Amino acid sequence: MEQANPLRPDGESKGGVLAHLERLENQMSRSRKQSEEPQSVQAQERVLGTKIQKLRHLRDDLKAAVRHRRGSVKACIANVEPNRTVEVNEQEALEEKLENVKAVLQAYHFTGLSGKLTSRGVCVCINTAFEGNLLDSYFVDLVIQKPLRIHHHSVPVFIPLEEIAAKYLQTNIQHFLFSLCEYLNAYSGRKYQADRLQSDFAALLTGPLQRNPLCNLLSFTYKLDPGGQSFPFCARLLYKDLTATLPTDVTVTCQGGEALSTSWEEQRASHETLFCTKPLHQVFASFARREKLDMSLVS
Amino acid sequence: MDETVAEFIKRTILKIPLNELTTILKAWDFLSENQLQTVNFRQRKESVVQHLIHLCEEKRASLNDAALLDIIYTQFHQHQKVWDVFQMSKGPGEDVDLFDMKQFKNSFKKILQRALKNVTVSFRETEENAVWIRIAWGTQYTKPNQYKPTYVVYYSQTPYAFKSSSTLRRNTPLLGQALTIASKHHQIVKMDLRSRYLDSLKAIVFKQYNQTFETHNSTTPLQERSLGLDINMDSRIIHENIVEKERVQRITQETFGDYPQPQLEFAQYKLETKFKSDLNGSILAEREEPLRCLIKFSSPHLLEALKSLAPAALFSRIQKLLCYSASHSQGTQDLSSYVPLYTRC
Repeated sequence: MEQANPLRPDGESKGGVLAHLERLENQMSRSRKQSEEPQSVQAQERVLGTKIQKLRHLRDDLKAAVRHRRGSVKACIANVEPNRTVEVNEQEALEEKLENVKAVLQAYHFTGLSGKLTSRGVCVCINTAFEGNLLDSYFVDLVIQKPLRIHHHSVPVFIPLEEIAAKYLQTNIQHFLFSLCEYLNAYSGRKYQADRLQSDFAALLTGPLQRNPLCNLLSFTYKLDPGGQSFPFCARLLYKDLTATLPTDVTVTCQGGEALSTSWEEQRASHETLFCTKPLHQVFASFARREKLDMSLVS
Repeated sequence: MDETVAEFIKRTILKIPLNELTTILKAWDFLSENQLQTVNFRQRKESVVQHLIHLCEEKRASLNDAALLDIIYTQFHQHQKVWDVFQMSKGPGEDVDLFDMKQFKNSFKKILQRALKNVTVSFRETEENAVWIRIAWGTQYTKPNQYKPTYVVYYSQTPYAFKSSSTLRRNTPLLGQALTIASKHHQIVKMDLRSRYLDSLKAIVFKQYNQTFETHNSTTPLQERSLGLDINMDSRIIHENIVEKERVQRITQETFGDYPQPQLEFAQYKLETKFKSDLNGSILAEREEPLRCLIKFSSPHLLEALKSLAPAALFSRIQKLLCYSASHSQGTQDLSSYVPLYTRC
């Protein structure tokens, strides 16, 4: 049986009851929330709090580690630095040694005869020189086999390499090399003299210099005073000894052909002697000096 | 100016391609700069030629000048001719060679002119101690034929001369004689060497084909050439291949070297060999007399072709073949002594 509310009518009491129930429900949920919130908030707070503490710990650890590292690195540097300088010194010393060895090997060029071992034998380098001027280099690549043979070379074709090899290569290799050196140095020297004459004293020549590949026959006409009235001289130099840089036969004639005065004859004879005894370009240098001297005396 | 000379100059200039004309005319040095400047080289070729002939007439060109122009044209177009190689020799104990160019030229000309009244001889010296000689041949009764000359390139103070192959064979002995006497040698022999490329012949005969030498200064590291292997292949196969390929490459390098090979177009070998057979009682193997054959290799550039055979793995077969031919061959001794393959066998 429903108990009627004496104060409200049924409809109102229903609304009233339900509404009341609703209000109570709301209250309850609200109060539950309120009671939960501080709980969750507290839980969250607790969680965050622990996190903060962990991070703080981590930070402190890292800071400590950094300090420690710095300290140890400083200690290391203090220990290591003397070692590193030692390494650098060793390297410098090695480099210096290498440079020295390279320089010595290059200096061998100045001895005129040097060589390098190859896989087959040896590659000999002949550096020619004349009067202290280093001239061309020539190579002979030898294969060390029985019989000893020349693999390839850069010797000019008019040097009698085959002849020298036929005579000495198999029996006395030293003699072979020295003989070849002689020929090549003499050839270089003759070539140097002819080149110098053509380049430095062209003013004194009245015609082109005739020469041959071995530079062992030179023929030219020259005047002592280029602008002057004197007759030009004709010179013909023969170098029959291929191992020499001075001619074996010299003929100087006067182009005029007429009977020469004694002074000209003396000059001609003296020139012949000069060409026989001094290198060609030096003779012409003395001509040029004399010419300058004469000019200065005249003026 | 003689009509024949004018015609000769005209035909020579007509042969010259327009782009080379100024270079060759400058080398000829017969027409002056001023004269050359008056010529319009952009005209049609016939007009240019006409103008040039006119200038030559003004300057009175002689047969010698015309011959010189011909020499210069041939020097620029060396490859159009085939060159033979001649080797001279002196007697034992000869004096030192005091070569005098003037004397040589006079002597050479005199010998030819004494034998054949009608002959035109012209000379042109070059920088490498060589003299180019042009000979136009006539007979006792006919004038020299300027259109079929013979060229000789002689390197003074060496035993070698190169002669252009010509159809007029009958004058070769006389030419040989003139050359030998004028250069103070005793004998002349034709070598079994022939090519269009004078430079290559020179390199072979003067032994100048390999001019790289090991010195302490040159620190060229061994170049690692790519062997062209397929990296997708099984690495075990690659390893086996590498060993073999390296061996082949090493042998090729030792034989041919690193330098550019002289250009030869063919090599011919006479081969005498006995036939080997596995089967007993083969007819060919039972022959008493050896088989005689002629083997000819030809190529636009024979030595480079042989050099590239090795990487193509045909090397061992060729080597065997050439080994036989080297030991049994009777011809072309000079070539076989040059090509290093053969001396190694």
